Amino acid sequence: MRKHDVVVVGAGLAGQRAALAAVEAGVDVAIVSKLHPLRSHSGAAQGGINAAVGAEDSVDTHIYDTVKGSDYLGDQDAIEFFCREAGPTVVEMEHFGTIFSRGADGSLARRAFGGAGFPRTIYAADRTGLALLQGLWERLGTERFTLYEEWELARLIVRNGRVQGMIVLDRKRGEFEAIAAKAVVLATGPAGRIYGRTTNAHSCTGDGISAAYAAGAFLKDMEFVQFHPTALLESSILITEGARGEGGFLRNAQGERFMSKYAPHVLELASRDVVSRAIVTEVKEGRGFSGPYGGYVHLELMHLGKEKVESRLQEICDYCRHFAGIDPVTEAIPVYPAQHYMMGGIGTNIQGATNLPGLFAAGEAACVSIHGANRLGGNSLLETLVFGKQAGIAAAAAAKSAATPEMHPSDLEEATAPYRAWASRAEGEDPSTLRTEMQQTMDQYVGIYRTEADLLEGLKRIRALRARFQHVRVVDRAKVFNLNLTDAIETGHMLDLAETIVVGAYARLESRGAHSRIDYPKRDDAHWMRHTLAQKGPDGPVLSYSGVAYTRWEPKERVY
Amino acid sequence: MSEPTVPVSFEVYRFDPATDTQPRYQRYTLDLSPHTPVLTALLRIRAELDPSLSLRYSCRSAICGSCAMQINSKSRLACETHVGPEMERHGRIVVEPMRNQPVLRDLVVDQAPFWREYNGIEPHLKLDPAHPMPEGRPTSMSPEEVERFKETPRCIACAACYSACPAVEADSSFPGPMALAKLYRFVVDPRDQAHQDRLVRIQPNGLWLCLRCHLCTEACPKDVRPSERIRDLKEMAIQVQGATERGSRHAVGFKDNLVDRGVLNEMKLVRQTYGMVGMLSQVGQGLKIMRKKREIMHKPRAIQNVEEVQKIYEALDTKEASR
Repeated sequence: MRKHDVVVVGAGLAGQRAALAAVEAGVDVAIVSKLHPLRSHSGAAQGGINAAVGAEDSVDTHIYDTVKGSDYLGDQDAIEFFCREAGPTVVEMEHFGTIFSRGADGSLARRAFGGAGFPRTIYAADRTGLALLQGLWERLGTERFTLYEEWELARLIVRNGRVQGMIVLDRKRGEFEAIAAKAVVLATGPAGRIYGRTTNAHSCTGDGISAAYAAGAFLKDMEFVQFHPTALLESSILITEGARGEGGFLRNAQGERFMSKYAPHVLELASRDVVSRAIVTEVKEGRGFSGPYGGYVHLELMHLGKEKVESRLQEICDYCRHFAGIDPVTEAIPVYPAQHYMMGGIGTNIQGATNLPGLFAAGEAACVSIHGANRLGGNSLLETLVFGKQAGIAAAAAAKSAATPEMHPSDLEEATAPYRAWASRAEGEDPSTLRTEMQQTMDQYVGIYRTEADLLEGLKRIRALRARFQHVRVVDRAKVFNLNLTDAIETGHMLDLAETIVVGAYARLESRGAHSRIDYPKRDDAHWMRHTLAQKGPDGPVLSYSGVAYTRWEPKERVY
Repeated sequence: MSEPTVPVSFEVYRFDPATDTQPRYQRYTLDLSPHTPVLTALLRIRAELDPSLSLRYSCRSAICGSCAMQINSKSRLACETHVGPEMERHGRIVVEPMRNQPVLRDLVVDQAPFWREYNGIEPHLKLDPAHPMPEGRPTSMSPEEVERFKETPRCIACAACYSACPAVEADSSFPGPMALAKLYRFVVDPRDQAHQDRLVRIQPNGLWLCLRCHLCTEACPKDVRPSERIRDLKEMAIQVQGATERGSRHAVGFKDNLVDRGVLNEMKLVRQTYGMVGMLSQVGQGLKIMRKKREIMHKPRAIQNVEEVQKIYEALDTKEASR
């Protein structure tokens, strides 16, 4: 059997940073990733990474903006640690080789981002994620760890209350394998594909979050789902907040810069939950545009001039030209909100530790929580690096003191029995049909604005889909790159997670950050200033709640 | 309200190593609006017609580099190739795996050779202990220095260039366009302390095998223009080391010939490229050519107004020196 001290699952920024920290701690490290590391979804991040390095800016302002952005659900001790690490993290990435955009004086260029008091978002044109991913991967090198490339996590093995290893599918050979590990870091990213309208890559299916949940880990704040205000109509491809940071306007069909009604001080640069709700409201109240792909508003860059648009927003120009057939230099971009980010995830502390000994998590798969009820743009790239490093350090330390993992030869056989059953059925449910129905359900009933009736209907439908999933059938008989099988595995993961989102949203009787209940429109600090914890029970998620950590910032009404 | 659709017919390469001795082409037909990306169409084929079709894909927005394949014989990203223009030009859409990489199944190729070449150029900053990074702050980089990276940071490692490259097909010692464009990115990086070493080592290791056909630049979805970066590397390598390789001697000799008479003296060029002794290895080839093209024996006369050619080169040299 394969054995390693630390196995990192997922090779985006959080996973790679965890692996680097563990390698530097001197333990035997492996990375399991279902994509080549350079194809990870971190590479799609566009706008930038926050660090309060400007003379007029301060770490305290970054902390305050993040606390306020979180609608006071972020843990302030974690946020303080996070913001203090920002400057050193960006410098480290620059020294690793990341190619950032520069100002005329040779320093790192910064742009304005939503919900931020100062321009503190450091960027590499509009491909900051790609630049960081390349810089980190090239620093990490390939010689110092084992890479299981295009291997996909199926489940974790837990024995004696501790994670002992995992069952993974080697996509290229089509074989399941067991890997024993003294410590596991889950950095598998989000589960955005639970929704149909999402900016996320097809690979964002929450494999690690679901495996942790199935293994007994707590999932935290799953109901907090961020909808990015500006996704391209139809394809839902992300148009970076940097487009508004560079001075872009949002206009409705009446030509009105409607954000003045919703965020009179900062307009387009309010935080994402505020701007997304504003766009949905404009469209619902008949002031949007309409077309074959539904209602939308305009994002205008034309007034910024060709030079600025083409140099600072080079990829955006390509996205608009290739995927929407419009030229942002001369035409408005049709946009509408789409699922973009999960504030929730596997509950961890600042060191990345979960409630399960031996199990760590970082990045979007995890919930520390620094984003609380709403994440600020530019904080997610920073999170992957800051907490990826912490999780790698902690996992290496845990591995050094851990006993030899206890995996049994029968583990592989037992864990893969369901997959063999899926393949042997003469008839059954098609995984991609179940996936499509789940996505339609989540889009329709668990979107930006939520009501009790909608959430109940959504829950009923998700539960029905989970029941049908018990009869899922894999028809492709081939071993190599069997997407029918991986579709089924991933759909199973997402259905479990969809249920935690709906149950959490149904239970939370307030509106906070990205969770907007029409029937409970106010934030209710007396009852709901607490984290939702979901643990897997025999009949679905069992909810409990935990307190929010406070240091210096008293909850206030959130106005932009 | 929905957009008008047209019937689109796909011929898709299918191969499963476990059951097939050779590939076959399977036809699928879908009604699609003309701006549908080929990737979306392939995913609809998987969802609606045939879940056994296999391919790599992830971001669907031309940033992860997963879905490069041959579409009507061109190496492209399926996510940003639209069905309408393909149908107009070809009447059908033939979808095949990338070239120059062994097929694992259907449209999925083994990218190990591609990644090996990428790792081979040592894609990481090499530092000199005598020039450490500034403590606690980023290095300073002027806009001119940043400009020198040109388009290479946009590379998404999709391997479309590697698939399109005839030099990769002809000679496995050629690193391929992506690896060389990546090398360029490190050679112009002011933080890297091994520029000269990188240039000296690439000269005998494949740099001069590039045929300058520019198919990589045509294939590149991110406008990295690998062939131009390879040209830049060649110029820099000659500046650092002089013309030490057959390829570089050929390039320098070519220019000498043109400056001298405005026309190639092919015998002289062979001598310049191979050296007097090396020329012996070309005797067989030379005789073959001579049988067909007798004039190659004679020293060509200078063209009329050869000084115009010389002026062009002078101007180019001045421009080069001022860069």
